[in-house]
Amino acid sequence: MSTATALTVGATASAAGADLLRIVRINEQIKRVVGVSFKINIMALNAIFLAKRAGTAALGFGVLSNELRVFSQELRDCMSGLNGLIHASVNEVSIILRNGRQDRLLGELAKGGAVLPLVSGVLERRAGERSAHAKRLADLRRQLKRALEDAFQLVELGGVLAKSAKIEAAYGQSFAASLTQVSSEFDGIVEEIRGALESLRHSPFFASK
Amino acid sequence: MKTTKTIFQDGDHRWLAIVRDPDKPNYLIDTNEYLVTHGDRGLLVDPGGAEIFPAVFSALSAEFDPSALSGMFASHQDPDCCSSLALWLEFNPAMRCYVSWMWSGFLPHFGGSGETFVAIPDEGMEIPVDTLMLQAIPAHYLHSSGNFHLYDKVARLLFSGDVGAALLPPGMDGLYVNNFDAHIRHAEAFHKRWMGSNEAKRRWCERASGMAIDLLCPQHGAIYTGPDVERFINWFDELPVGLAV
Ligand SMILES: [Fe+2]
Ligand SMILES: [Fe+2]
Repeated sequence: MSTATALTVGATASAAGADLLRIVRINEQIKRVVGVSFKINIMALNAIFLAKRAGTAALGFGVLSNELRVFSQELRDCMSGLNGLIHASVNEVSIILRNGRQDRLLGELAKGGAVLPLVSGVLERRAGERSAHAKRLADLRRQLKRALEDAFQLVELGGVLAKSAKIEAAYGQSFAASLTQVSSEFDGIVEEIRGALESLRHSPFFASK
Repeated sequence: MKTTKTIFQDGDHRWLAIVRDPDKPNYLIDTNEYLVTHGDRGLLVDPGGAEIFPAVFSALSAEFDPSALSGMFASHQDPDCCSSLALWLEFNPAMRCYVSWMWSGFLPHFGGSGETFVAIPDEGMEIPVDTLMLQAIPAHYLHSSGNFHLYDKVARLLFSGDVGAALLPPGMDGLYVNNFDAHIRHAEAFHKRWMGSNEAKRRWCERASGMAIDLLCPQHGAIYTGPDVERFINWFDELPVGLAV
């Protein structure tokens, strides 16, 4: 193994180790978002019930609550897509880590002295596999980033819904106070999700090559 | 790098011991790997752990074309025996690994696929190397619950895995046992603790004393030759084993 190749092998393995930690953190955030979106679903059900009781005064609020339920389901679907990509990334990173150890050991065969053609054949094939895995991980990284942007767009929409619900709540006559409280909670939760996604966006995982 | 020593040769029938690596870190247990060749085929016997693979491979390839290895024999499932499996397969993916049926579902965690493993039944089996037939001899519970030794009746050589193993101090690094009493002191604690069953040990001693053995080759330490083989079997027969605290 040439010094350059040895450096590549070492760098690939330690980058993969760092990636694994980053992926773990991303996964924790995703779990948080999914948990919160469940909360929205339950809140939306309660809000629909409340709107029904308020009758014609809260028709608009009822429609928005329904939309928020749909939003929470879409957000969960979106997160499960992200989860699939996270799972594939963990798989890819694990392969890179395992191969990294094997590449290091095989690389030692080429230290000093002439390299058997048999050894150089294996090293070449493994270098090819190494770059194929690196490429696959780069693809997953891109897909994850895109899926995250989609989730962000969705949350923007959720934010608009929550804010509109706030406005609609004001027309709720005797129910106005309780509708306002519910819609503020919606808004708070959507903001919480936005915060979680925002920190995901800044994960160094998306910055590494 | 490890050293390769020919311990038996008759024409193209050869046993090589791959031993003693001065560069090996101390935290890794020292192991002996063996290669038996016949014609242009070769079988690796306890090919060793992944960390020492470069040293074993380099020593072996100085004497034998690694792509001509037809298989490997793993006495049991321990990492020092065969965690290098995946790396050897890189050079010949068609290589077979003979191991107790008990471990044929465990070793794929080290590497290989469904086709790699040949499960040895409890009573043992014949393992071919070219036209030479080797015999997998049962040594269960010594120390692994699914454990085999490998006998070459032509060479009168028994590869005995962890049986006969000695953890030798620095400086005592001869390939062969030359002072049995001095040597066996370094084998006692190992056998008492690692070997799990007095009954299994008694049966093994009975079986081994009925075999023609000129060379008793363990996976750790030095090789017993001539009268030291019988000395070892008698010593082992009398040693109480299978006790910890
Ligand atoms: Fe063992
Ligand atoms: Fe061992």
